[in-house]
Amino acid sequence: MDLIQNLGHGFGVAFTLNNLLFCFIGCIIGTAIGVLPGIGPVATISLLLPITFGQPATTAIIMLAGIYYGAQYGGSTTAILLNLPGEVSSVVTTLEGYKMARNGRAGAALTVAACGSFFAGSVATILVAASGPLLTQVALSFGPADYFSLMFLGLIISAVLAQGSVAKSIAMVALGVSLGMVGTDVQTGQQRFTFGIPELSDGVGFVSIAMGMFGIAEIIINLERPESRSVMSGKVGSLMMTRAEVRRSIPSVLRGTAVGSMLGILPGGGAALSSFASYMMERKLSSHRHEFGSGAIEGVAGPESANNAASQTSFIPLLTLGIPGNAVMALMVGALIIQGIQPGPRMVEAQPDLFWGLIASMWVGNLMLLVINLPLVGMWVKLLAVPYRYMYPSIMIFCAIGVYSLQNNVFDVYQTVVFGIFGYLCSKLRLEGAPMLIGFVLGPMMEEHLRRAMLLSRGDWGVFIERPISATLLAIAAIALAAMLLPNIRKSKDAALQEGG
Amino acid sequence: MTWKLGRRWLLAAAVPAVAAARGASAQSWPAQNIRLVVPFAPGGTTDIVARLLGAGLQERLGVSVVVENRAGAGATVGSETVARAAPDGYTLVVSNIASHGISPHVYRNRMRYDAVTDFTHIALVVTNPTVWVANPNSGIRTLADAVARARSAQGLDVATSGAGSSNHLMVVRMGQLIGKELNHIPFRGAGPAMQAVIAGQVPMMSDSLPSASSHIRQGSVVAVAMASAQRHSAFPDVPTFREQGYDLASDSWFGLSAPAGLPAPIVERLNRETRAFLSTEAVRARFAELGGTPGDMTAADYAEFVKQEVAKWAPLVQASGASAD
Amino acid sequence: MKLNAKDLISAGLLMSFAAVALWLNLDHTLGSARRMGPGYMPMLAFWILMGLGGITLVLGLFNGPDPIETWTPSEVWFLIGGAAAGTVAGLAAARMPGFASVGWNPLGIGLFVGCMVASIVPSWRPLFLVSGAFTLFGIVLEPLGLMVAISISVILSSFADKTHTPLGVAGLVVFLCVLCWAVFIYELDIRVPVWPQF
Repeated sequence: MDLIQNLGHGFGVAFTLNNLLFCFIGCIIGTAIGVLPGIGPVATISLLLPITFGQPATTAIIMLAGIYYGAQYGGSTTAILLNLPGEVSSVVTTLEGYKMARNGRAGAALTVAACGSFFAGSVATILVAASGPLLTQVALSFGPADYFSLMFLGLIISAVLAQGSVAKSIAMVALGVSLGMVGTDVQTGQQRFTFGIPELSDGVGFVSIAMGMFGIAEIIINLERPESRSVMSGKVGSLMMTRAEVRRSIPSVLRGTAVGSMLGILPGGGAALSSFASYMMERKLSSHRHEFGSGAIEGVAGPESANNAASQTSFIPLLTLGIPGNAVMALMVGALIIQGIQPGPRMVEAQPDLFWGLIASMWVGNLMLLVINLPLVGMWVKLLAVPYRYMYPSIMIFCAIGVYSLQNNVFDVYQTVVFGIFGYLCSKLRLEGAPMLIGFVLGPMMEEHLRRAMLLSRGDWGVFIERPISATLLAIAAIALAAMLLPNIRKSKDAALQEGG
Repeated sequence: MTWKLGRRWLLAAAVPAVAAARGASAQSWPAQNIRLVVPFAPGGTTDIVARLLGAGLQERLGVSVVVENRAGAGATVGSETVARAAPDGYTLVVSNIASHGISPHVYRNRMRYDAVTDFTHIALVVTNPTVWVANPNSGIRTLADAVARARSAQGLDVATSGAGSSNHLMVVRMGQLIGKELNHIPFRGAGPAMQAVIAGQVPMMSDSLPSASSHIRQGSVVAVAMASAQRHSAFPDVPTFREQGYDLASDSWFGLSAPAGLPAPIVERLNRETRAFLSTEAVRARFAELGGTPGDMTAADYAEFVKQEVAKWAPLVQASGASAD
Repeated sequence: MKLNAKDLISAGLLMSFAAVALWLNLDHTLGSARRMGPGYMPMLAFWILMGLGGITLVLGLFNGPDPIETWTPSEVWFLIGGAAAGTVAGLAAARMPGFASVGWNPLGIGLFVGCMVASIVPSWRPLFLVSGAFTLFGIVLEPLGLMVAISISVILSSFADKTHTPLGVAGLVVFLCVLCWAVFIYELDIRVPVWPQF
């Protein structure tokens, strides 16, 4: 069979000593930058790009890919241990993961994140190899109207992230959307709400908001309540997952993998939606849904699997169309072009070593990450035993350096302080940060697609119900909204959200 | 081992350019690492070529050239930091059509530098023609087809990499030439725009040749017209706008600049090394493949060129309605 | 009474945010449905925010009681004093020649002074000493380098917790300087000044 033969060829490429070495280096660097707050794969890859000049193209891309998914693995660590989400996908992980850590189950949370990610990564790799070109058609069939409806559905169901009042959490989504309006208008190039500050012309920084509202605000609250943090450092708990936890995680990992693989194919936003779509699903489908909000393992297993699956399948548009789906993929294209290779539909035939070698190395990389991360779990968990008076200045310094390094600009540091104070205020008023961040990320994308759809349809709103994909998504959103506003019809709400995933 | 070599490179780069003595004289230049600011996010065409240039200069000058991406506000954020730096030859910027041609008009009242007087312009690095491409199934093969579509009741949608880009201004100009406004569909970057064209959601796109070249070669889009004075050597089959009866010829470009007041010997040396790098066979071949034309101008010519560009874009920016105010 | 104080304050906060934003949005053209202007989507978002704030307000009248912690008079006064002092310091710094008015330094100095004034009250210290230390890091990082920035912001933030000992703080400073140099400078090579520049 062709696929087996090609994969065999790919493994032949991936298992050369040099490629294995660079895959390993990439995974290590990726894990490190994932763990460090603020410093993301984009900055790191652009710093390391010159190193790859001297390497063959295949080796270079294998290493860069290793950094990319290594960062996805590492990102969950700080989210679980310190309530510090480095990117959109780990915002969701903080919700249950940090609660688990406070309950003394940090080891289990980290273990399930690593194992779930490995499983999801393996499945998604096979998917990329077996049906990459076919799945490209899925990505191409999504027009602006469909993207808009997808984002809209995402915003509606993000109210499910609420731990408390639904009205307040939808209001926080709207606040996030409003904050997302700051910056240059994509359609006209006009500056909105920037007050003449050039640093705001590309919008308020996601990392600044996340670090401020989660990281800094959490430090302040812990310092105000010495009794709660002593409880935390006292309870390290067993590292291993219990049998019950394993049993509970398996269906979540499977569902997360499916959701993540599908959404990852959609460039621009798909991957961001995947982890919280999975969280929402778990919250509605899990047989332990009453435990959500107090540290349910399903809320870590599902989203972590989903975001890793999505990061693998997000290679599909790059490999089959030559079109980068996000900033990291754009850098990969850059690395390839510097090597004299034009990515695109012919890459499979023209560069079989590169194509199949990369796919095989994705799997090898995932295996390496599992091997790197599982032994580290014990070490990470021991960090929790460090007295909090030593922990909080360290977290603060790492956040500050990370935020500064985003743009080499102190403005981002001050912006983080402001969001830290705002985050503290929100927690006093029981306003939640997670829905706000989701709104902040999805809002601008939704606006962009809405306006583009209207430009293309010549102002006809009908386009949103004429296109089958869009109509389906909107119908689900409508049912979800109705179910949320009428809490009595609980049964149909569950059914609606089941379809929504 | 290569990793070691990489590590050494990193170590060499770890000493920030500003940390050492600031009063380096023109005779001893270069004595420390050079910071090359790219005012765009990593991964774009400009970033890629700037990195190639950085690597070339590093080899020729014998000191590390560290590329630093400082994106934002139509490439003005990164350019502004360089305009304010010391003119010691250790801080350079990739000046380009956005930061030193179009943005001065878009950000009129908010500009904190003058594109001409606040910089020492050193050398032109590359010019890229703009090319209009169409989806193969859109029925558009020539400019005449496109104009007919634009004049029909349906109108013509044209995608670009963003509002206020040179690609967008070409769409505005074409609309002026045919007396019918085109339906401009801006995207966030060339990648998503190209995907929409390939998927058939938008029939046409105005794009710079390097980002479109692989898609043209692979046949996923059809090149309709090239907006340059002559046909491009790498795509001899693609006619120009002028050949098809529309006077539209404009290239995007970028070059190397430094803060105003850079000593003449350093300008001279950088200009010489840049041109020498650009004229090597390997670089020419690589640029030809991408669809760019390497520059070959004296520093004085490049300064004059920038001046003309700033003047040239003012009326089109006004017509496009792009404004940051 | 069933007033929910937290919800009522939240609603006030959200609605005043929406009101200010709607007012700012008057600058932007709304456009038509076909060609939406830059003000169209913000208008939708802000009105929805306003509406949800209103719903929160109405709900807050009935689903209480949920009182907030009451502030002592000194807490209130030093908070107001901090805000005023910070604003004055920031504006003054912007008018001063040299370092104080360069780049974002006025903003940093204003934030820092505001945090310091408010943190005179012990119960505000966790909030404003941590924020102040974070700000201080930003102010000194570029002129004095990473090592100095780490040292002084760790020392400042250590006053936020009573259990610190001088020796422990000194050890922490040394440890963090070494760790950050190894991780950020040696390994990741981020662009940041490490030592003071003269």
